Amino acid sequence: MGSFLDVVAGVLLMFGSALILLAGVGVWRFDDIYARMHAAAKAPTLGILAIALGAALSVRSVVALVTALLVVVLQLVTGPVGTHLLGRAVYRRLRPPLTGVDELARDEAGHES
Amino acid sequence: MIAVSISIAFVLLTVAGALFIWRLFQGPSVADRVIALDGLLMVVTCGILVETAREDSVTSLDTVLVVALVAFVGTGVMARYVERRGGE
Repeated sequence: MGSFLDVVAGVLLMFGSALILLAGVGVWRFDDIYARMHAAAKAPTLGILAIALGAALSVRSVVALVTALLVVVLQLVTGPVGTHLLGRAVYRRLRPPLTGVDELARDEAGHES
Repeated sequence: MIAVSISIAFVLLTVAGALFIWRLFQGPSVADRVIALDGLLMVVTCGILVETAREDSVTSLDTVLVVALVAFVGTGVMARYVERRGGE
């Protein structure tokens, strides 16, 4: 049983690290700030979840499990909020050129007229 | 098995950190650097978690919470800065 849990923990650690690396590649290669924020916001959340679970399974104590759970909940709560704040600031102040239709500007213009 | 996978995880996290640092220096806007710093703190978070698995002890686990909270507060403050001042 212990060795089986070790294997599961190792796989989870590698999977989570691969997701973090995926986010790094996205932030490195994407050429639009919204695409970079998208890459940096979504994949690492699941990555931290997997790594915290893997660490808790590897240590196998109540303290580790509770702290890992706390880390996961904190990440799930704060990640979208921070990304939303930054995305709103970028949209309002930096005004990067968008590819495609700016639906928010279109809707706001339609609402005012 | 677990030792090998921990080494692989450390290598992957190191490469990810290098990519985030490249974006941190490259810019081009403040928001890009904020994203890169946020990602770098995620790498630190995951690195401490993997280190916990390697050491098999919970002594360094509390720092993970602190780093995650600092990352969130820093991102929020920098977002407010960008929104107030603009930024380039």
